[in-house]
Amino acid sequence: MMAEHPESCIVCSKGNHCELRRIAASLGVGDSGLYPMPNFPSYEQMNPFIIRDLSKCILCGKCIRADHELVVAGAIEYNHRGFKSRPATLYERPLEESICTFCGTCVSICPTGALSVKNTAYVGTPDQETDSICGFCSVGCSLSMGVAGQKVVDVNPSKSRASVNGATLCVRGHFANDYLNSPARLTRPLVRSKDGEGKSIHAPAAWDEALDAVVMKLSAIKREFGAGSVAFIGSSKCSNEENYLFQKIAREIFETPNLVTLSYDTGQALAARIDARTGGMCRVNPLAELEGARVIVVVNADPGRSVPVVDYHIRRAAKKGAALILVNPWKIELNRWAGAWMRPDYSRPSGPMASDFLLALAKGLVADAGYDRGSVEQATDGFDAFYDMISRRNGIAGEAVDAAVRLMKNQKIAFVIGADTLCYPDGAQTADAVANLLILTGGIGAKRSGLFVLLPESNTLGAMDMGMMPDHLPGRVRLDDGGNIGPDMEGFIEGIESGRIRAAYIMGENPARSLPQPDRVAAALKKLDLLVVQDILYTRTAAMAHFILPGAAAAEKAGAFTNLEGRIQMFSPVVQPPGEAKADWEILAQLIWKMGHPEHYQSLEKIRQEIRRLVPMYQGLGSHLQGWIANNPKGGKPAFAMDFPPVSVALDAAHPFIARLSAPRHHLGGGTRTGRSERVRAYGDHGAVEISPDDCRVLGLEVCGKVRLVSEFGKIERSYVQSSRPPKGMAIVPMGENQNDAMGLAGLSGKNRPASFGWTVSRVGIEKI
Amino acid sequence: MEPKPIDWEKLASIIETHRTRKWNLIPLLQEVQETFGYIPPESMEPIAEALNMSPAEVQGVVTFYAGFSLKPKGKCVLKVCRGTACHVKGSRSILRFVQNELGLQEGETSEDYQFTLETVACLGACFLAPTMMVNKNYFGRLNPTKVSSVLNQYGKSKEDDGSP
Repeated sequence: MMAEHPESCIVCSKGNHCELRRIAASLGVGDSGLYPMPNFPSYEQMNPFIIRDLSKCILCGKCIRADHELVVAGAIEYNHRGFKSRPATLYERPLEESICTFCGTCVSICPTGALSVKNTAYVGTPDQETDSICGFCSVGCSLSMGVAGQKVVDVNPSKSRASVNGATLCVRGHFANDYLNSPARLTRPLVRSKDGEGKSIHAPAAWDEALDAVVMKLSAIKREFGAGSVAFIGSSKCSNEENYLFQKIAREIFETPNLVTLSYDTGQALAARIDARTGGMCRVNPLAELEGARVIVVVNADPGRSVPVVDYHIRRAAKKGAALILVNPWKIELNRWAGAWMRPDYSRPSGPMASDFLLALAKGLVADAGYDRGSVEQATDGFDAFYDMISRRNGIAGEAVDAAVRLMKNQKIAFVIGADTLCYPDGAQTADAVANLLILTGGIGAKRSGLFVLLPESNTLGAMDMGMMPDHLPGRVRLDDGGNIGPDMEGFIEGIESGRIRAAYIMGENPARSLPQPDRVAAALKKLDLLVVQDILYTRTAAMAHFILPGAAAAEKAGAFTNLEGRIQMFSPVVQPPGEAKADWEILAQLIWKMGHPEHYQSLEKIRQEIRRLVPMYQGLGSHLQGWIANNPKGGKPAFAMDFPPVSVALDAAHPFIARLSAPRHHLGGGTRTGRSERVRAYGDHGAVEISPDDCRVLGLEVCGKVRLVSEFGKIERSYVQSSRPPKGMAIVPMGENQNDAMGLAGLSGKNRPASFGWTVSRVGIEKI
Repeated sequence: MEPKPIDWEKLASIIETHRTRKWNLIPLLQEVQETFGYIPPESMEPIAEALNMSPAEVQGVVTFYAGFSLKPKGKCVLKVCRGTACHVKGSRSILRFVQNELGLQEGETSEDYQFTLETVACLGACFLAPTMMVNKNYFGRLNPTKVSSVLNQYGKSKEDDGSP
């Protein structure tokens, strides 16, 4: 092994982490005196993420086991025998042409320098390594971040035993955190002012000066136009403590009901609906139970792209023999294991839709007596009414439904539901039908079961629990309908357009890029008398602000995120925020103090104490590394949803196709942060629209080329590829690419109109260009 | 000359007889190898799909065994024995002679897909050393004259199925 290994330790990026070197040193194997037998297969580094230098491969097979057993991708396998043997992809193509997802699990696990992270600026061992929590999606993976010279240069899965992700990560967590070192980072407070020639610029200001001005102007607008004229947009990327303080500023100091986050419509509203249906008894859903499940039902979701680490759990379960049932309009990688696939069709007015299939499953289980009678009768009232309702329905039948019912009969079932389910015309019914199935199969509080909502961002759930929602107070206390409920995101933009909202404070969000109709949103934001943006990057939204306050990313501050399982994960800073930037909670604490509030939050612990006192479900928040949120402390009772009005989709001759906007694996949502990652940028444009072969034939499209997509709200031009993933009548449009122009296709107000689509689904026409 | 085009229907019918039985991978591959003379690389993906494996795993098995080949082979596959007994009896010269006669190196296939030259470690027929195999037939106690007569025998009959 030593004779075969190149002597390149000085420049090897594995540096002091090399296990071969460590073992050689501890065994006292120095210069072996053996005739060197260099084995130099080609060095591969065309992709921007992973360098493969197989001359350093010692054939331990860890990468292959990681690939097969941890992420169940099947991209690589040993090829050949003896001296020729090495790990290879199908047809021995480079990684970027294989099914490799660049999760980087193999890179972290490789004991030598055969697999290493592609770094342009840094080679060697980081000075120190500190654990943190990933700030991208709602899985909340534990990271071990390597720091050299106050910069994060390396990211690996943490070695902590209690982590969600074990030894796995995804392409975003592993490789896209280099956005932290982007030149677009905000390093000092900026104030809109005029330069010498009268042009409007952002000039640097001192913290005190900027904060005093923000307080003065916000208070002046509140005094002049009333409390309803000030709005606060919180962030599902900021910590629990920050969202708590932020809603406190909104509700207590400004007495305004206008507070919302961007993931209200794509996650929080769904999570809140399911929480209400299950009586708050299904808040904790450990992913270990998903992996242990014997039957898994996936509804309207593509976990492999949105939350890859959840996808690994499902794949591992499927590999162990769990039955996988999909209710999904388009094909996903999990289809490989699917025992039954029900395909909702939204391109025809008559469906069938996702909720129709789910109701048919419930009907099938009731008819075959395949449900958990004991637990249903004990846990709920009104089962008889539900039984009548479901038995009398004319459920759709079919081979897939029958197969699914057979698999689900008398089993505990884990349900996985996509965050943007409410964007479909029957979204509310779909959510209710899933909750019904969970209750019917006795899944609430049971092992090998649960309801996993694939929320979009690191703290979508925490922001909701901290009351950063128009219709909920901290602790998921629902405001009565008659009460002081603020507008949702759409109402917020309309409020600005009508002049009702005159000032906005946006923390950690980029609505001018991430929301539908971004140009309409930008025009509205420009109209504001005062726009304060507290963020980490100079975004399109920040560019329009009167005041920009530089905050800190998760790796640069302390706090706690609540992941989609309901696990509260505390983290501490890995590096200092860049320049004069501050942790967001410190900025908010200073604002509160400057506004003359009696509380002075000088430490995170003080905020946590207050949260623990006021929010009973957050007793787990504290100085430990992890805690869990609690189910409804008063003890709720799940209730069957009974109301399933018929939904029909209105057709539109000018826009006959459905565009589903979804982020590719290497972007999160609109790509504000991932788009600033050098590696993701170097990966290039992966924004091709996927169109089914049937539609290509109808439209006269070749295998690939360019198309124009036109919706009621806007149009974009994109390259396209013929793909078997979307069904006939649907096109899959990647978000995040090309300044996230795809959002221009979606309508901000769509979801409130009957029988129409929400933010991530839109009706479009497709033209060849 | 191009190798024979793949009969996709035949391939599909072979795969179908083994569908969803993961432990049948090797018998399936043997059947494909037997039928086509090699494992067409394009067949690895449908095979993987049928057995619910990843195509890379199928390739791993194919490249591991010498009995499977991803490249089309000639009608006549020559396996010259390079085992100890044959070596002692001069198999190195036999190999050189075959190489010169056919203009092929080890592992190569002639342009007309008539011959493929391979070496093996032992054919188990040491009492006949030096030996070689052409398809399923043994030839022992070789000398250059005998080898060239064997080659002529196979080379001349290009139209038949390769049996002497």
